[in-house]
Amino acid sequence: MRTVRASWMDRLLRPVHRWVWLSAERRASKLFRFAETEADGGRDISRAAELTGDPLLRRLYLRHAQDEQRHCELFKQRGRSILEEMRLDPKSRKKFELNWLSPGERGLDDLRVDSEGEASLLAFLHISEKAAAARFVIYRDVLQRDPQTRAVFDNVLKDETFHMNYTYQQLVRVAPRGHGWPLWRARLHRLWKGYLRLAVAVAALLGSAVLLAQYFVILPIFAVLAKRAACRDPPGWFERNRPATSRGQY
Amino acid sequence: MKILGISAHYHDSAAALLVDGMPICSVQEERLTRRKGDAEFPMSAIEWCLEKGGLEPEQLDAVIFYEKPLLKFERILTLALRNFPHTWRSFPRAMKNSLGGKLWVKGIIHSSLGVPLKKIFFTEHHQSHAAAVFLTAPTRSAALLTSDGVGEWATMTVGRGSRENGATKIELLREIHFPHSLGMFYSTITAYLGFPVNEGEYKVMGLASYGKPSFQRTMEKVIQRTRDGAFRLNLDYFEFQRSASRSFSRRLVDELGPARSPHQAIDLSNPEGRRYADIAASAQRVLEEILVDIAKTLRRQTELPDLCLSGGVALNGCANARILRESGFERVFLPPAPGDAGGALGAALYADRIFFGQPDREFPDHPFWGPEVDPEELARVAREDGIPLEQLPDEGAFLERVATELARGKIVGWMDGASELGPRALGHRSILAAPFPAKMRDLLNRSIKYREEFRPFAPAVPIEVAQRYFDLPPGGDRVARFMSGVFPVRPEWREKLAAITHVDGTARLQAVPKEMAPRFHALLHAYGARTGIPVLLNTSFNLAGEPIVNRAVEGYSTFRRSGIDLLASGRYLVAKKAAQPAGLDEVA
Repeated sequence: MRTVRASWMDRLLRPVHRWVWLSAERRASKLFRFAETEADGGRDISRAAELTGDPLLRRLYLRHAQDEQRHCELFKQRGRSILEEMRLDPKSRKKFELNWLSPGERGLDDLRVDSEGEASLLAFLHISEKAAAARFVIYRDVLQRDPQTRAVFDNVLKDETFHMNYTYQQLVRVAPRGHGWPLWRARLHRLWKGYLRLAVAVAALLGSAVLLAQYFVILPIFAVLAKRAACRDPPGWFERNRPATSRGQY
Repeated sequence: MKILGISAHYHDSAAALLVDGMPICSVQEERLTRRKGDAEFPMSAIEWCLEKGGLEPEQLDAVIFYEKPLLKFERILTLALRNFPHTWRSFPRAMKNSLGGKLWVKGIIHSSLGVPLKKIFFTEHHQSHAAAVFLTAPTRSAALLTSDGVGEWATMTVGRGSRENGATKIELLREIHFPHSLGMFYSTITAYLGFPVNEGEYKVMGLASYGKPSFQRTMEKVIQRTRDGAFRLNLDYFEFQRSASRSFSRRLVDELGPARSPHQAIDLSNPEGRRYADIAASAQRVLEEILVDIAKTLRRQTELPDLCLSGGVALNGCANARILRESGFERVFLPPAPGDAGGALGAALYADRIFFGQPDREFPDHPFWGPEVDPEELARVAREDGIPLEQLPDEGAFLERVATELARGKIVGWMDGASELGPRALGHRSILAAPFPAKMRDLLNRSIKYREEFRPFAPAVPIEVAQRYFDLPPGGDRVARFMSGVFPVRPEWREKLAAITHVDGTARLQAVPKEMAPRFHALLHAYGARTGIPVLLNTSFNLAGEPIVNRAVEGYSTFRRSGIDLLASGRYLVAKKAAQPAGLDEVA
């Protein structure tokens, strides 16, 4: 059985992680986020169980999906307890959560189970479980002051290690000769997805900037006209006098 | 004529196929992609419909989209201008949404299906809703009332429909325009109460029964009646017209108190929990009163005995029941899918009967338009997994056995025939259980549906004995056909039917006619023969966050991941082992 270690980057960033997890508000917020990610992951895995023709994989995937559901509940319950203890509202203030550093498992990876082959799915799951397990190790380690949350991570970590190991073992089974390539492809895929996320974010930012410029430069005059027209539209019933046209989109 | 109807891009996209005026099939995209509320262009649903109809896209005579994208875009742009400069945050997102896809529906249909542009048609959103109910209901003429969040501009329409001598007419006479919307009002309260919009409205309705309408005055400031009998939202209390991320304003919070965080549990034993319940009760009361009043006026103006009700607001079973009781209409018809998912079928019917003037046809009066379940698939996966599988020799033995297990307190996953169109499991994809002990409700909420304790479960009962257990007003059995109304459980049965009786003594029952679901109907009677009460708890066959199961293997996966004891399909029964198959740890 493989054991899990935090990555060198995370070890380097240990003080930052410790600082992030110090705030109860941030802790609760991150746990709720993990709960959502685990629930999403569980749905993906159960879909994989429905689609696979391999009975052993189906049983493993179903167990995996149940684990994810349980993790979701564990994270949610702990998050709620923290809120109750601190009487906090997680939406009260936006706090820096370091989420770009912690993509969790498959939450941000846009997994399309239906279009994945058996080996590539196992490789993808192995890589993401491994990354999540490594991340949970560092979280567990920096949570010395919160033994209950630490216990949750301990509990989840055992399952994550199992998931990481079974996905590797099964990858070796279904692709006995060439299991190295799917793993590399999965790593490259994660990198590519990371790049795409960044590219989409930059494009969205640029798009928003252009639209915003148009909003403030072009729209004001039309806004005045629209506001005037709105005054002539009292609320209440409108008689319908549009003919039922079949071809028009308007 | 071969007509494909499509609804997409807001929530619950769907496709429907009509051949020579008769429906072949209709399915929501989420049932095939397994993404709850999937709003993407419904390519999987379209492919399945064409395959079911044995058609290639080029054989279609028309493809009709359920709303007018340009008219909708006009509304979005106009509202952005009217609320300038407060819309600066939501404007880029709204434009990216529209310009990034929603506006180019014609091109998307043309390029994905290869259908010539001249064969692509559009109907208005509320025309689709009106057609989805009027052209599927067994009535010749009726008043029409549609209400939802928003279509293009309209949020509510009233009108009349007639189907005389083979000719069909749907006239929408008046409409209320966005932002004044009953759907948006209810969704805003849903968001305020910390529930997800378009999903959590049921929760508000369930929670309302625990509260008193002590905030009714405030609600009446939030949504006001106009002199002409319509209503207007006081926009000071709302943000949805300005913001894409928050629908209620600071002023609403000032009036009602702090909004609930989505992660905060609702504890009805403390004042905060009761405040949420009171707010839900107040919003529900105001919504019902507006709807009943508008329906009363419509009854007076049309002098018609029948009302056809559709749109997302028509999913509110409490309001539907009050409309039936108080508006003066003798019969109220609701479709199994009043929301946008039903818009695909409505648009196809509208095109056939109105645009192309095809003769009127009687519409089969059932909701089962989706893919069929294959029991052999269930048998195969159960055998492969070494799960106990039993094949009963005949139909009678099968039903007897399922009824016996239900009477023993087992929870049964039931898959039969074609899946339902719409959000409700009506006896083809259901989780069934005994309606007797109250702890059955708690068990289902806790270990199967993973949902809040305050949410009730619905009963199913053969239509011919429904009156014995439920206090149905005249016409109530019709409303209950597709589980569309909430009615009182008769007082003498409330204690006995504790698992399906809500805190206010009501239930959202399904009255099952034999001709609609003969197998399910027979199962209810078989269960009644054992227990003396032919009533079963009937909830949709899905887990939290997942769409209702479609294929047998999806039912199997749900069964394995939840506390369901027994899975029944065809003549197969799959039972859960006392312990899950061992030895999985060894493979790692």
